[in-house]
Amino acid sequence: MVEKILFIIFAFFAVVGGLGTITRKNVVHALLMLVFTFLNVAAIFFLTQAYFLAVVQVLVYAGAIMVLFVFVIMFLNLRTFEEEEQTHRRQRWVALLLSVLVLAEFIVVLTGITFTSAKGGFSPAAIQAAGGNSHVLGQTLFNSFLLPFEVASVVLLVAMVGAIILVKKERGANVATGAWEPGKEPTPELTEEEV
Amino acid sequence: MPIPVEYYLVLSAVLFIIGAAGVLLRRNLFIVLFSIELMMNAVNINLVGFSRFHENMTGQNFVLFTMTIAAAEAAIGLAIATAMFRNRRTLMVDLFDVMKG
Repeated sequence: MVEKILFIIFAFFAVVGGLGTITRKNVVHALLMLVFTFLNVAAIFFLTQAYFLAVVQVLVYAGAIMVLFVFVIMFLNLRTFEEEEQTHRRQRWVALLLSVLVLAEFIVVLTGITFTSAKGGFSPAAIQAAGGNSHVLGQTLFNSFLLPFEVASVVLLVAMVGAIILVKKERGANVATGAWEPGKEPTPELTEEEV
Repeated sequence: MPIPVEYYLVLSAVLFIIGAAGVLLRRNLFIVLFSIELMMNAVNINLVGFSRFHENMTGQNFVLFTMTIAAAEAAIGLAIATAMFRNRRTLMVDLFDVMKG
């Protein structure tokens, strides 16, 4: 019973954080709301007894990825572009309507199904006896999912190389008229003639 | 007394739709990336909830891979954002219309 109440509290805060993320004008505020959502999701993982994933959620998501976002936002000096001109006014209402419709559809369909547990053998008591959540997770990861694990490392390597190549300045090609440099104040009026 | 799996499903659906609405409604490239992260987290909640419900570790293992892909996606997305900002000096996705889409 206590678990259910805690779940509802954390879920409520996660949804509030999500709504804040998509409604804030300031990008940094939206990012902080997103971190709040991630922390609440980590709490929900704790309630589900997925302890390792809860820690990874805090370390990797709320820690590393969000810090990366903060770095890039600060690096790009976005303060001058906070106001967001809405060019497709009608699209906003259609999008809102469709989102609410799909949500209603999800809830109607998902709450109409009665799920029966498959009982895979990793009950909380069995996990406890086998050495805890992290132990069992590591064992299954390196036994059943060894190949996907190695492929994931390749994916990360490709992403790293790709990110470097995308951001790297080509040698001798940076003298295009008014190319933006880090730290220099961007000039929005140049955008008009380009567009 | 475990939490019923329907709770996870409803929370995950709500978070996913918030993310999808963010992608559709907002014009700032960063907010769009945040919304995609939100959608990935909604999927993770679903996987963990069903992993607990079916007493199976596959779901939790899969969440690790989802997080890997999310990290890669964030790195690439931010690299593209930096490159676009360098060329166009804006991050409003409506103005990225070189391909007339």
